[in-house]
Amino acid sequence: ACHSEKHVGQFYTLPSAHVRPLFPNGLPWRFQHQTKTFNETCIMVRQPALEVISCLKKADYSQPALRYLFYGLKGSGKTLSLCHTVHFCYTQGWLVLHVPDAHLWVKNCKELLPSSYSSSRFDQPLQATTWLRNFKITNEPFLSKIKTKERYVWTKREATEAGSPLGELVDQGISRVKSSSDVVGAVMKELRLQSSQPGADFRMAVAVDGVNALWGRSTIKRQDKTAVDLEELTLVYNLRKLMKNDWSGGAIITTLSQTGSLYTPKSAYLPQELLGERGFDSVDPFIPVSVPNYSEKEFESCYLYYMDRNWLQHPQSRTEEGKKELIFLSNRNPSMLERLCGFL
Amino acid sequence: MASLIRNVFLSLGRTNVCGLGIKETTNRVTYATALFANSTSGNKGLPDRGGRGSVGRRPRREPGEPRTEKMPLDQDWTSVYPSATSFKSNAVPLPVRMGYPVKRGVPPEKKGNLELVKIPNFLHLTPAAIKKHCEALKPFCTEWPSALDTDAKCDEHFPIKVESTDYVCAGPSVRNPSARIVHLKVKLSRFNLNDHARKKMLKLVGERYCKDSDILSITTDSCPLRQQNYEYAKYLLTVLYHESWKIEAWEAEKTAADMEEYSWEDSLSQKNMLDTLLRMKVAGEGEDADVRKQLLERKEVQDYKDSVVRLKNEGASESSMLQYKEAVRKVLNV
Repeated sequence: ACHSEKHVGQFYTLPSAHVRPLFPNGLPWRFQHQTKTFNETCIMVRQPALEVISCLKKADYSQPALRYLFYGLKGSGKTLSLCHTVHFCYTQGWLVLHVPDAHLWVKNCKELLPSSYSSSRFDQPLQATTWLRNFKITNEPFLSKIKTKERYVWTKREATEAGSPLGELVDQGISRVKSSSDVVGAVMKELRLQSSQPGADFRMAVAVDGVNALWGRSTIKRQDKTAVDLEELTLVYNLRKLMKNDWSGGAIITTLSQTGSLYTPKSAYLPQELLGERGFDSVDPFIPVSVPNYSEKEFESCYLYYMDRNWLQHPQSRTEEGKKELIFLSNRNPSMLERLCGFL
Repeated sequence: MASLIRNVFLSLGRTNVCGLGIKETTNRVTYATALFANSTSGNKGLPDRGGRGSVGRRPRREPGEPRTEKMPLDQDWTSVYPSATSFKSNAVPLPVRMGYPVKRGVPPEKKGNLELVKIPNFLHLTPAAIKKHCEALKPFCTEWPSALDTDAKCDEHFPIKVESTDYVCAGPSVRNPSARIVHLKVKLSRFNLNDHARKKMLKLVGERYCKDSDILSITTDSCPLRQQNYEYAKYLLTVLYHESWKIEAWEAEKTAADMEEYSWEDSLSQKNMLDTLLRMKVAGEGEDADVRKQLLERKEVQDYKDSVVRLKNEGASESSMLQYKEAVRKVLNV
């Protein structure tokens, strides 16, 4: 957590006690396999994450929440930078609202219910319950500390009174699948209101991966095959409300992702292209942070790490020439390098 | 002597095929006799007729050396190729090769090369030939005005340039339908247009305007005669100019999507920025409108506005993103 400029290029290990609760499925898929193989979670300290962390340290939390956006080429390390920042927030004791991939909420929806709260909107119970479960695992200590301020009525017989702990609200959502999306909305609203209070003793970090999904297009269709507008999805609607900086006492850290996004060209990676007009206007003003490919030093460090873990088995990969070949083939792109080394 | 030869042939035929059946022998015999008949007639004919063979044969002359060998170095090329003709390999003294080489070879030479004949050649348009053409045309031309010696002066006095082509053809009819096309080119900066008029003109004209060179080109070919097309082009120019100055009632409904460039005033971005700043309570307490104006005039906000305008108008790029980032950091005091 106390990383600084000097540590650029070095790996640091996340204690496994933190990994299980913090990232129930927040880490990239390939990285999760790598952690299982190596039996440890190691993230490289890189410049973009350091920049955001230093801003977070300096920021004044009575001001509206600042928005940071990681953008870069495919596979350059945006999600891992986000995870690094989130881990920092977690170690500082913040409440972490982590959405691993917003693209999952706008495509491949198996169940779409009309919303119980507002008749024009649609619910996605499956995604909502998954998210609530993860939220519960991540933020155990906060669930009993924070109390709700309002009364929420779910059905004729069930209601959550004002002043009950947040944990009860979350449990309600997990058990009553039908109203889970509304529970998500309620949770977000509560947290937003409460962290803005001057007397709040916690800070909130909203981390969304693939934030361009919120303003893109969706492939979800209604029963009669007409496309669903993104505003009509409860989850998306509530998340968009969180993205606005009308609350204070926290930070919003996001990444762009072309990989899961719909109807965007493969070569698009700049914020303007992926967010679109509406997205840009909604997130404006934000601090864009570019995540480039590995620098010379970072590449060296990654190479040495793989050697250290005996991941590079091929004898030629341990020579100078092999290293030059790797540089050439992967163009120092972190994910390409990882895939190449997987074959060796 | 002929009969002796005949007997010899027959015996040969029989001895060769003594092992086989009778049929083969008879066949062989007929074949042998047929051959014999031919050769005797041929033998008889040759001493009679001297150099000539049977009907249809012409004497074959050797081709002489190609003309290229005899061409002096300082010959008049314009008389070799006075008009557009196909490529004649023995009239062009250049060692040209053309074609796809076979494996491990070179492109085929020019002698007998169909590829060189197929393509159009400009051997009749060498600089010397062009000079001769110009000399021939000079008596029909008037002198260029001495005052217009630079391009800039020409543009200044004659901003509208009209182009049309004349075609000469020696065929059944001298008319060429493509001669009616007229191109009219003019620079838009010469027109007296205000902001609204310029935008409207650009919208009306569309593809015909080139942004880099600021030239509006109108091409007309809808009328059958060149003079009619020229009048029509002039009419179009006049109409465009006058229409772009008029303001119609429905132009007030122009939406943000119709705008050519992004303007920051009254945009969502400005609203966001102001809201953020107000929430940050940067300025002192005061009336709403005053506070907003004050905020807008601050330097950081101006920088932010420039960077947003640049992003939206030019599209995204690394440098514009960096500029935006710096501006945002300054405004939000990060």
